[in-house]
Amino acid sequence: MREEAGVSEERSSDRATTRSTRGQALRAAIAGGGLVGAGALAGAWARPDTTAGQGSRAQDVRILNFLLVLEELQAAFYAAALRRAGLSGELLHFARTVEPQERDHAALVRRLLGGDARPAPRFDVEQATAAPERFQAAAIELEETVAAAYIGQGASLTRGAMRDAARIVAVEARHAAWIRDIAGADPAPRAADSARSADDVMSALRREGYLR
Amino acid sequence: MTDHRLLTLDEVDRDEALLETIAVLHGETRAGFLRKAALGSAAMLATLAAPASAAAAIDHSDVDILRFALRFERLQASFYTEAESMGTVGRMAARKQQWARTLGAHERAHVRIVKKILGDRAGPRPFFDFQGVTETDDGFTRTAVAMEDLTVALLTGITPRMDDPALVAALFGLLTVEARHAAWARSIVRTTPAANAFDEPRSLDGVRALVGDTNFIASRPRVRRRRRRPRMTG
Repeated sequence: MREEAGVSEERSSDRATTRSTRGQALRAAIAGGGLVGAGALAGAWARPDTTAGQGSRAQDVRILNFLLVLEELQAAFYAAALRRAGLSGELLHFARTVEPQERDHAALVRRLLGGDARPAPRFDVEQATAAPERFQAAAIELEETVAAAYIGQGASLTRGAMRDAARIVAVEARHAAWIRDIAGADPAPRAADSARSADDVMSALRREGYLR
Repeated sequence: MTDHRLLTLDEVDRDEALLETIAVLHGETRAGFLRKAALGSAAMLATLAAPASAAAAIDHSDVDILRFALRFERLQASFYTEAESMGTVGRMAARKQQWARTLGAHERAHVRIVKKILGDRAGPRPFFDFQGVTETDDGFTRTAVAMEDLTVALLTGITPRMDDPALVAALFGLLTVEARHAAWARSIVRTTPAANAFDEPRSLDGVRALVGDTNFIASRPRVRRRRRRPRMTG
């Protein structure tokens, strides 16, 4: 038992080192304004200001529109799952709990954007909600992706928006842990979670077929 | 000072970053008093005396907030480590053991991360006295569930207060892990892992008061051989 604890502590410390390097990478990314990618959503989005990090309304609008896509995708995904994935037991309880929460997230982000909110793109969530196993795997992937996207964007928001991002991302991480637990996977596989860039997230969502 | 319409700190300090800083540096009473005091008044100038610039003050507050976060991570790490070394964790069912050991390892890693960020400003390790809750499965589990939810509320509150964007990013990555812990802990006790659509923040003072109520932070090292006797501190 002792050895096991020692091993996991060792592993965590490795992660910590990784994170520290990533912290430096993040610092560079923030300074370079590279956190919100260009060309997300079929070229509809512009590159962020090169003076990122301070936060500005214009930058908030870009970031929040990106996060809005993620929240609306999740809301659509869970709504479809409840309609057609044939869920039961723990998975059904999970989807029923999470679906209205994602709608609340989307509503809050939309409210923050006000008139600057872009219309929701078309999502394709058919495949991901075709069967309970598909749903489970897709839910893990989506929740992880969304949490990582918030970690990537949070620091570039203005303080007010950052506060709401923190209130939301904690719940996204709870969702990720919960669905992993249901699937029999480690709910908290790392001591510190990593960020994913907006470009990376958007291309992953396209690759999975959620966005065209 | 001769201005007829002096602004109060409340009006200027919309996100309360300054008030928070003052509260951390000078205590709540001072901050509360200054909330209503007009800018440019003698009291105001006395309090903000040396570096009058807000930026300098906020940088300082990053350190103070992180020091508090470190104290809290140390509390958690010691809690899990103690439950392991007392054999409480070892007596649990396999799934629950994995949970307790993983959380312990993560909290110890968080201590190392925050200590590394703070460097020589980390401050000494406090003494802890967990009042017997690490000795029983039930006491340990209840405390862990409460502590993980409290940590989420603490990090939700402090992460957007940090001034350094790299620190904000780092804390976001710790916040999500604490939220995973909280969800996992709630699942262990068969409660909904995500009860609300939003995790609401708690202020530093709110968390400080709650931790104070537990008496987990002791002024002196605990005398281990008296551990199992009724505690008569006061």
